[in-house]
Amino acid sequence: MRIVIAEDSVLLLDGLTRLLVAEGHEVTGYGTADRLVLALSTPGAQLPDLLVTDVRMPPSHTDEGLRAAVHLRSLHPDLPVLVLSQYVEQSYASELFARGARGLGYVLKDRVADVDEFLDAVARVSGGGTVVDPEVVTQIIARHPGSDLDVLTRREREVLALMAEGRSNAAIADRLVVGLAAVEKHVTNILTKLGLPPAADDHRRVLAVLRWLDQNGAR
Amino acid sequence: MTSDDGPTPAPPPRTLADQVAPALVSGPAFFRAPYDAATGRAFAALAVGWIWHLTGGLILWILVVVSAGIVPALGIGLPLLAFSLVAARWFGAAERARIAAQTGVAIPAPLPLGRPPRGFWSRLWAPIRDGRAWAATLYAFLAMLLTSVFFAVSTGLAAGAAAAVVFVALGRGSSLAEWSSDRVAVSIALSWPATVVGALVGAIVLGWAAAALAQYGSYLMVRLATVLLGPSAAEVAHARAAAAEREMRLAEAAAHTARERAVVLTESRTAAVSAADTERRRIERDLHDGAQQRLVALGVELGVARRLADKDPEHAVAALELAHREIKETLAELRDLVRGIHPAVLSDRGLDAALSALAGRSPVPVRVEVTGDLSPASAAAQAAAYFVVAEALTNVAKHAAADTVLVHASLVPDDHPARLRVAVSDDGRGGAELSPGSGLAGLRGRVAALDGTFELDSPPGAGTRLTVEVPCAS
Repeated sequence: MRIVIAEDSVLLLDGLTRLLVAEGHEVTGYGTADRLVLALSTPGAQLPDLLVTDVRMPPSHTDEGLRAAVHLRSLHPDLPVLVLSQYVEQSYASELFARGARGLGYVLKDRVADVDEFLDAVARVSGGGTVVDPEVVTQIIARHPGSDLDVLTRREREVLALMAEGRSNAAIADRLVVGLAAVEKHVTNILTKLGLPPAADDHRRVLAVLRWLDQNGAR
Repeated sequence: MTSDDGPTPAPPPRTLADQVAPALVSGPAFFRAPYDAATGRAFAALAVGWIWHLTGGLILWILVVVSAGIVPALGIGLPLLAFSLVAARWFGAAERARIAAQTGVAIPAPLPLGRPPRGFWSRLWAPIRDGRAWAATLYAFLAMLLTSVFFAVSTGLAAGAAAAVVFVALGRGSSLAEWSSDRVAVSIALSWPATVVGALVGAIVLGWAAAALAQYGSYLMVRLATVLLGPSAAEVAHARAAAAEREMRLAEAAAHTARERAVVLTESRTAAVSAADTERRRIERDLHDGAQQRLVALGVELGVARRLADKDPEHAVAALELAHREIKETLAELRDLVRGIHPAVLSDRGLDAALSALAGRSPVPVRVEVTGDLSPASAAAQAAAYFVVAEALTNVAKHAAADTVLVHASLVPDDHPARLRVAVSDDGRGGAELSPGSGLAGLRGRVAALDGTFELDSPPGAGTRLTVEVPCAS
């Protein structure tokens, strides 16, 4: 598939390009957020199957990449975007996921070094899934008053965290080494206990969970 | 060292009585009064004073009284009175000098009359309305009487004491009995030991009384002179107020200086904090853009190598080679970065060696001149100097287009406290400026925090000269 990467570090851009090309993808790289936006927002521009972008880029070295991603998503709501960040920050995540979580990923840049994990994220996001870095989930849950989550069992809390990361029931079962039926039971329990509607697809479920955590955590 | 090892307390100030009439205020001094030096001085003061008051004082007194008396009668009276009162001041000055010489008590002079006013009558009138002159005249009159009385009585008592001693010495012989009247001769004849004891007691009592009276008289005269010949009460109050105001001004000036110093310190502290902040930001940026990115890329290369290890060993080896090269580059970069945070050579070998190391790394040829031993400068001072030179050399390489750079370091011992001075001068295009947020601006904050000075001289086309001085002890 066609992948566009926006990354100001030439080294990393080279490495990622080599990695993805070796995996059989077609890769285009941009060094700045401006050039990325220019390339993808011109009318008639051919959209890639996935956009991978760094958050911190020239000229101001703050959050150009994130703003570019939000802007491009508003132009092309179906464009899958995987955001790489030097450090994960809950407010960045909220900004990014404000308009939906379908085909959207937000992970720590360091995860790239775990090539299998990175390629998994690439595949999930480009396939319309949601990937939320475990650290973001940990941050959100850490800011949560403990009593709100006391209704959940320890295992249910583990399942909740994996749900928030955007994992499917099958992936959760795989991770926790339990049967799919057991995971489905946990998920139903969690949704009931937190008063969330049962959701068919994973990304909508992620959004509901994240929103619930976000809203109740802000209290 | 014990707790009572404090500074010795200052002796209480000697009062006038301590100085002139110790017998009146101290037991031991009273006991030794007849043979005390103070008594001798008091007698001398009374004797000389008596003679002086009966000559100079009397003449002054007569002058004033006579001229005052003839003021209504004759036109000559007024000038004579004016002259007499001017003379009264002279008399006062002489009397103060005599008292100072004889008793050691320095009586301050009253304020001078000042410039004589214009006009004959005003000029004539000025001394006549001079209160201090009239006070001196009054003193002349009182002193004449009092010294006469004190001198006469104390001399009389002393003479009595002396007579009693003579009587005891000569009384053993019958000649005195024969010389005296019958009645005395009888009493001597009747109780010879009682008479001797009585005479001795009398001599002692008279002697002590004479000494005490002489000291008291002398004391009284000095007191009188202080009141009548010294500055008037108004003058004393005025002088005291002036002194208080002077002191207040000094205190205000000191407070002002302290406030200004506080402002300077606050500014330099802020500069130090912001310099440290800028520095931390620079380090973070360097780490983020450098080592961190390299390590992520390295992770990618190694991940690729692992994935390809089985199916495509050739590409896997290429990825490993790339990763190896990146590790070496990352190490070099980290070494540079660490040196930028704090160069090891500076703490190990001192500024002298560290400057040579800087010169060795500079792309522009650098000559280093170090005058004397820089080691008395503190670590903070040396570090500040080092970073100034490092930043200056970086700027020279980037902007100056210079052919040579001269780095000069020395101690400036003439200043107190001693200062460390470094100067970096190049022959480049000049025109350098301290833009806020630049490395040099940050270093200026660092230098200011050490109470140092920072001077940038960079006329366009004539090279750049940066001179920094920091106190060695900072």
